Amino acid sequence: MSRWVAALRLVGVGFFVGGSILLGVVAGLWLDNKLNSAPIWVIVGLFLGLVIAFYGVYRMLLPFMGNKRDKENS
Amino acid sequence: MPKRGFWGFSSPVVVGVLFVVLVLFLVSLLSGALGSSLFGDLGLPSWLSVPQPHPELPAGVVFHLLGFPITNSIIAAWLSIIVLVGISYAVTRRLKLIPTRVQSMLESALGWLLNFCQDVAGKENGRRFFPVVATIFLFVITNAWLSLIPGFGSILITNAEGEVVELFRGANTDINLPLALALISFIFVEYWGIRSFGGLRYLRKFVNVGQFFRSIGQLVRGRLRAGISGLFTGIVDIFVGILEALSELVRIISFTFRLFGNMTGGEILLLMILFLVPFILAIPFYGLELLIGFVQALIFGGLTLVFATIAVTHHETETA
Repeated sequence: MSRWVAALRLVGVGFFVGGSILLGVVAGLWLDNKLNSAPIWVIVGLFLGLVIAFYGVYRMLLPFMGNKRDKENS
Repeated sequence: MPKRGFWGFSSPVVVGVLFVVLVLFLVSLLSGALGSSLFGDLGLPSWLSVPQPHPELPAGVVFHLLGFPITNSIIAAWLSIIVLVGISYAVTRRLKLIPTRVQSMLESALGWLLNFCQDVAGKENGRRFFPVVATIFLFVITNAWLSLIPGFGSILITNAEGEVVELFRGANTDINLPLALALISFIFVEYWGIRSFGGLRYLRKFVNVGQFFRSIGQLVRGRLRAGISGLFTGIVDIFVGILEALSELVRIISFTFRLFGNMTGGEILLLMILFLVPFILAIPFYGLELLIGFVQALIFGGLTLVFATIAVTHHETETA
């Protein structure tokens, strides 16, 4: 992996976390507004956003954690 | 021969320049908002100070075209397009084997971009992604640097509703433009992925139900232990597929807000620094904004490139 790819992938991580949590919370707020069910969907959305964030970060960092794991998986 | 003075200038010139800079800095410190709050009103002429800026997030509407509001950020984006097209036309109209200075500058810039693409995505794919990535890069960087030209945001006009709005406003500071660019980048990434694998095989990354149905088949045929453990893996597969699809959507949001936030923040920072200390202090921040414009353009283009590379690499064998 070239240094460029490494740098660009790491640059993407931070905003990805923010973006996924934001998406979850905004979707939850919207659903709560629609269904008048606050705060259930906000909490669900927040958790879903956090799960996406962790999964996405894991996927983005996987290539940096040594390729052994990758080869086992494939 | 020992070098005289600094940077090739003789010492008196350097001292004179430094003196002027120092005087300007002191005057601006005293006349700006920072100085007047620290030392009180010194009775300096009012044209030395800068009025407090009131940045607004929505772009101002300049006029309506066929019912569509045309905002100042759209006009700035058109201006960047005109600048880019104009430069390309002027340079490529008479291409020379021995390039002129401008031609060689643009050639080396594009060569660097092509190298960058091929570095990240490999030789063949890099050439394939290059047009889109380079367009995004050039457009974003032109938007960012055009809005740094002094006087860019200071042309005021009155629109049909009687409001006074700026004629130009940095196109990246209107959230609609980063969103549009993010959607373009998203669509191209998916298009390349589908082109490389075919629609159904590409979609399998997101809707991964093969294992699930196979283990249901095993359960029906009575192989209970293999069926149940397979069922569990199948459910995890489906969940991972959903996460994969959602993270694709999150990318659009993170692309949008990264560009919008950095550019808007930079603009407001410059305005506030100018308000606090009018003359000298804004120059280092101008340099910073030039750098940030370049970096953001590189990140936008580069991340498009990286995601495109991931999309055309097979899911399981991806090691890049």
